[in-house]
Amino acid sequence: MTNFKDSTSTDQLNSDPAEAESSSRELPPKIAALSPSEWLKANLFSSTFNSILTVISVAAILLILRGLLSFIFNPLRQWSATATNMRLLMTQAYPENQYVRIWVSLGFLLFLAGVSLAFWRAGRRVQIAQVGKQLLAIGAFILLTTLLAPFSNKATIIWLLIGVFIIGVGMFLKPADEQKTVSSLTLLSGAFLLAILSLWVIPYGHHSYISTRTPKILAEPGTVAMTTKLPWTIMLGVAISSYFLACIFRDKIDEAKSKAVLSAAWLISPLFLLFLVLRDPDFDTGHLFSTDIPIFVFFSVVGSVLLLWLTKPEIGEKGRIISTAILFIGFGTFAISMLMIVRILTLCLAFFALAAPTFSGQKPARIRYAKVWIATMVILCWLITAINTPSTAKVPGDFFIGGFAITLMIFFFTMVLAFPLGVLLALARTSKFPIFRIISTTFIEFIRGVPLITILIFFSVMVPLFLPEGMDLTEIAAVTIAFIIFEAAYLAENVRGGLQSVTRGQHEAAEAVGMTNAQKTFFIVLPQALRVAIPPMVGQIIATFKETGLLAIIGIFDFLYIARSVIPGQTEYMGSTRENLLFVSLVYLVICFSMSKASQRVEKRVGLGER
Amino acid sequence: MQSHAEEKSSTLKAVSQRVPLWRDVVVIKWVTQIGLLAVVVASLWFLAGQAGDNLRARNINTGFDFLERPPDIQLSEGIDTSPATGGRALWVGMVNTLRMAVVGIIFATVLGVVVGLARLSNNWLIKRLAGLWIETLRNVPLLVQMIFYFAVLTALPRVSLESGPINGWLHVSNKGISMPRIFISDGFYQWITVVAVGCLAAFFIRKQRIKKHDLTGENTHAVYWAFFTVCTFALIGLFIHPVFGFVGGIFSALATLFENIPTTLIKVLLSSILIFFAARWIRNFFASRRSATGHLSLIDDDIFRMIFVGAGALIAIIVVVAWTGISSWILNSGRDLFHMLEAKFEVDGAARPFDAMKPDIVKPGKFANYGTNGLTMGPGFAAVFFGVVFYTSAFVAEIIRGGILAVPKGQIEAANAVGLSRGQSLRHIVLPQAIRIILPPMGNQYLNLTKNTSLAIAVGYSDIVQVGQTVYNQTGKSLPVMAIWMLFYLTCSLTISVIVNFYNVRMKIVER
Repeated sequence: MTNFKDSTSTDQLNSDPAEAESSSRELPPKIAALSPSEWLKANLFSSTFNSILTVISVAAILLILRGLLSFIFNPLRQWSATATNMRLLMTQAYPENQYVRIWVSLGFLLFLAGVSLAFWRAGRRVQIAQVGKQLLAIGAFILLTTLLAPFSNKATIIWLLIGVFIIGVGMFLKPADEQKTVSSLTLLSGAFLLAILSLWVIPYGHHSYISTRTPKILAEPGTVAMTTKLPWTIMLGVAISSYFLACIFRDKIDEAKSKAVLSAAWLISPLFLLFLVLRDPDFDTGHLFSTDIPIFVFFSVVGSVLLLWLTKPEIGEKGRIISTAILFIGFGTFAISMLMIVRILTLCLAFFALAAPTFSGQKPARIRYAKVWIATMVILCWLITAINTPSTAKVPGDFFIGGFAITLMIFFFTMVLAFPLGVLLALARTSKFPIFRIISTTFIEFIRGVPLITILIFFSVMVPLFLPEGMDLTEIAAVTIAFIIFEAAYLAENVRGGLQSVTRGQHEAAEAVGMTNAQKTFFIVLPQALRVAIPPMVGQIIATFKETGLLAIIGIFDFLYIARSVIPGQTEYMGSTRENLLFVSLVYLVICFSMSKASQRVEKRVGLGER
Repeated sequence: MQSHAEEKSSTLKAVSQRVPLWRDVVVIKWVTQIGLLAVVVASLWFLAGQAGDNLRARNINTGFDFLERPPDIQLSEGIDTSPATGGRALWVGMVNTLRMAVVGIIFATVLGVVVGLARLSNNWLIKRLAGLWIETLRNVPLLVQMIFYFAVLTALPRVSLESGPINGWLHVSNKGISMPRIFISDGFYQWITVVAVGCLAAFFIRKQRIKKHDLTGENTHAVYWAFFTVCTFALIGLFIHPVFGFVGGIFSALATLFENIPTTLIKVLLSSILIFFAARWIRNFFASRRSATGHLSLIDDDIFRMIFVGAGALIAIIVVVAWTGISSWILNSGRDLFHMLEAKFEVDGAARPFDAMKPDIVKPGKFANYGTNGLTMGPGFAAVFFGVVFYTSAFVAEIIRGGILAVPKGQIEAANAVGLSRGQSLRHIVLPQAIRIILPPMGNQYLNLTKNTSLAIAVGYSDIVQVGQTVYNQTGKSLPVMAIWMLFYLTCSLTISVIVNFYNVRMKIVER
């Protein structure tokens, strides 16, 4: 039973025993290079059956490639539908004059990415000879494609020249010495640089679509390349320069601390970008200074003093009584009319107070706990204030952003909130308390037994019915909650697998040094369990990303919905569904493929998932 | 015995210095749990009440009466495209989902095994192609794939007599794919009875042959013998199957029997089964808690479990006894089943077990469409089918590959060393070991496939979700419809996991 349940979605990542085997530290013995004819004989024509297979599959490849190319380069294809509506696909109707906000957000994320890559010392060394070989293959593929594709004479010649050039570069690099290597990050940024350079040279995607039915301009005349070449160049500059800056500074500052700060930034900055930069809330300064800031100051000061006192090891019974009292006050605030922010913060304080004995100890530990409390207050107050403030971005529809951006947003919220919930569920399912176990198991098995789409429809249709009078939840929020619940059930199963792999001795050792149950769980069991559970959880994260497409079914203007229903609905671009869907597939394919490859590589490097 | 006495004295000491109630671990444990349970129940109660109020305020009633009323629905595909009642419409949806799941599982397994083996091939090109297949298909969301296949299919040329790749045999057009249909005809049930008798015979023959093999050591080809016995019976059955017409009489008698059983008997039967299982559970539980000396020690968890099981059994018995509907439903469905089977056997002697028909194209109005003769996959069905089969095949292929690679190389070398042929070593050495690794994740994939068929709603294939949505859009009964969805999928998931677990247990290595 356990075996059957634990293998959820690990298959995408863990299914490569052969590769894992070959990654042993020793250098493999050198195998003499085969000559081309020997290689062909060994790999393609080793037996009659193999030869027949080779011939058939070569014929099939050529036929399929030819069919695909004549589909893609058919003059009937409306690739301009995708190019013209690129802005719609990415952000739906986000106001164009505010578009710099999108670029700022992207730039900030790229800055974070550059710094993180430097601090985690990402990237591996690639042999230049290997790069040469890859270039040879790419050049050969371009030549083959050019010969099969229905190009005009001029285009054929240009593409043939490009192919020959790439092959030439490959030939030049191939005989390079084995010792000569180059960083994979350099290669990656080189490829991006080439792509962005091409934006400056070639005017991709002419778009000048003006709807005839409604006098509304969806995209101004111009090209995708024209409007995005400058921002993209800046983006690349930001990423590369942040990487090099971080490389300079990383040796001068405490690495562990800065890694913690970076992780926190990854968790928090999307929230700020979304609610402050993209949403552009229209703050009411008077209200801010009269209500929000005093509440914040009150809670941070009173809360941190209280927590400093509660984390004293000698506090004993009194602390529990006070924390329980705060909890009851927190629940009680819902009975009387009060600002929502006060209710939330009181409850938050109650939970921090209840957790205080777990984190009690010497002075530095207590001060750290108080600091965490203040940071939580800053983030919570800031966010609640921002969410409660009306947005200045006026767009049709009930949400200010759509397209790929909303796909990413819901994905982010799902992952950030489903993870703690999943850990809680897993702890409840493995706990010694039978009622906890029953509730958690029922919940997990119920959610895992029904398809995601039924849960999504249930939430998008039924949530208004379950809410009390005066409370309101937008459809996006309801659907995000559905996603969170669904993913939490699956993550819980992954975490449970990790929890079960922690040996009995670890529990006993923790008990022997006198840890409480909570301390044992948080400081001994969970860190080990989560480490083991990372590979299946990454698989689940990729699955979640793919599942965001389901938003289209319940009619949220996400990436897929716009590609499938909105663009083909424009009079100029009727029947362009296949082109748009190919684009969408390509985007998903690139993201999911690189996520799974990157995680495999990282796992192999740090030996994750092995014990 | 001495240690036992010591234990007892220490317990007495502990009792005399009892901790206060609010510090007692057992008390805290149960108060916390019951507190949480109370919170959960209270919030569910609150939400249910809220929903009731809101539904009443909007004048929506949540009865299941729509199941009996005629809906105004046309379904795109299924056993009944214009169902007479709402319940019938949902039933058609369920059948469509199950049909898709079963067909999808079969084809995904076959394709996945082929791709997985191709991934292990020593032909470089085949290996790379299989890798490309896997990486592409599993990294593009299934929904995107389905919608893409649907868009491609509906953009195909209009259906016409000349549209097929092989006219009259295979037609591919914007109305889907149509091919010849082989279907079971009137004589099928009598023929299958002959085959069943053949299977029985084959079972005994196989046993006999194996016995002979064990005694003499000569190769008796037991499996081939059994196979040919079944084939012979099936072949003879094609001619003599009408003799089994009398089976209908047996079913008729069974149906009469079911009509005459009183519901009280069924109630007593069900209750005694429940009591039997509860009693057996408690007996085994006591046995497991008893020490070697026969001393029984129960902790609070054990008592909770016993109360839980006992209360569950009691509630089940009360429900069975108080609700006559359950018993009469069992009786009625048994009677209906046997009446249906009885009717299947009432045919004249000339009926054939199978028949076949070529696809046809009809033109009722302005637009041509496929007729009912051929086996037709509408664009919706085809899109969902190709979607789930291709997508799942990529995962299945990885599972197969991982399973086979996980068999240690030494096993194959050892098999070669004792002189087994390649086929023999695969059949007797590699596969039995690989299967154990492959089965659990395969079961998971089958579950995923079944749940993934629900995405059919995006391409308009009439599965349970799509039909349900149409029904609640027309009747406003969203809550009951969703309850039916959840119940249906939970049943499917449970069934599949029970089957897979059954095989898992059977396949497990019996360790010493």
